Amino acid sequence: MRIWVLASFLVVLGLFIFATQVPVDITPDKVSSAVSEAISKSEVPVDEEVVEQAVINSVEILEKGQRTRLKYLAAAYIVIWLVFMLYVLRLGQQQQALDKRLAQLEQTSDAEEN
Amino acid sequence: MGNLSTKIIAVITAILISISLYLIFGYARTESTMLEVQKIFYYHVSAALTVFVAFGVNCVFSIKYLIQRKPNDDLLAVAAAELGVIFCTVALLSGPIWARYAWNTWWNWEARLTSTLVLWLMYVGYFILRSALEGDKRRIYSAVLGIIAYLDVPIVYYAVDIWQGGLHPDRGTKWSLEATMRYTWMVALLALIMLFTFLLIIRYRMKKTEARYERLQQKYLEETSG
Repeated sequence: MRIWVLASFLVVLGLFIFATQVPVDITPDKVSSAVSEAISKSEVPVDEEVVEQAVINSVEILEKGQRTRLKYLAAAYIVIWLVFMLYVLRLGQQQQALDKRLAQLEQTSDAEEN
Repeated sequence: MGNLSTKIIAVITAILISISLYLIFGYARTESTMLEVQKIFYYHVSAALTVFVAFGVNCVFSIKYLIQRKPNDDLLAVAAAELGVIFCTVALLSGPIWARYAWNTWWNWEARLTSTLVLWLMYVGYFILRSALEGDKRRIYSAVLGIIAYLDVPIVYYAVDIWQGGLHPDRGTKWSLEATMRYTWMVALLALIMLFTFLLIIRYRMKKTEARYERLQQKYLEETSG
C-alpha cells in the first residue's frame, strides 16, 4: 500500500515538474545581448541602459506571476492527492483491523470447538 | 464482481489517471486569462460531477432498500455516500485555491458554493445519523435522509441559472472549451468516475465483510450465552 502511495506521489510530482518547467531560462546576459542586438537594428537612437532595465523588470514581473500561479496549481493538486491518499490509507488500516478481528473470532470459535 | 474484474478496473483507473495528468500538464492549451491556474479546473470540475454520480448511486440504492429491504442495498448506498463525501471534499478544497487566484477570495457565499457546502454537510449528517442509530432503524432513517439530501444535487447543478450573478461561469462553459482542453477534461472526468467505481467496489466489499463479521459475532455470543 505504502509503495503505491509513494509511486503515485512520484508520478504526480514528476509530471508536474516535467510540464511546468520554464522553457527558456532568461538570464541578465541574454537580456543584455538581445537588447544590444535590437538596438543595433533600430533606426531611432535609444538609451541602451534604460531599455535593458525595462526589459529586466518586465521579465521579473512575468516570472514572479508565473511562480505565484504555479504555487496555486501545485497546492491544489497536492490537496487533491492528499485527500485521496489519506482515504486509501484509512481503508487499508480498516481492512487490516477487520482481518485481525476475523482471525480472532476464528481462533476463539476453533478453541471452543476443541 | 470477481477479483480479476476489480484488478482490471484498478489498472484501467491507474492508466487513465496517468494519461489525464499528462494531458493536463503536457497537452492541454494554457488558458489565456488565468494561465496555469486554470489547470485546476480539470480535477475540480470532474470531482464535482463525480459527486453527483456518487450521491445518485446512494439515492437509487436507498430507494431500492426501502422497497426491497435487502441489507446489501443499504451497504452499497453507504459506500457510495462515503465516496461522495470524499469527492465533495476534493471539490470544496481545490475550489478555494483556484478562487483565491481567480476571484481574489478564498470563499464567497454565492449560490453554487453555498449549495455545495450544504450538500456536503447533509451527507456528513447522514453519517452522524447512522452512527447514532442501530439495526433496521439506522438503515431506514439513513435511506430516507439519503433520498432527501439528493434533492440538493439539482439545486447545486442549476444554481448558476436559478441565482444569476454568481461567480461561477454558466453550465455550458465546459462544452465550449477549446478542443485540447475539452478532451483533457473528458479524460479527467472518466478517470475520476473509474476511480469512484474502483473505490466503491472495494468499500462495498469491506462493508459486506464487516456486516458478516458482526453477524458471526452476534451468533457466537448468542450460542455461548445460551
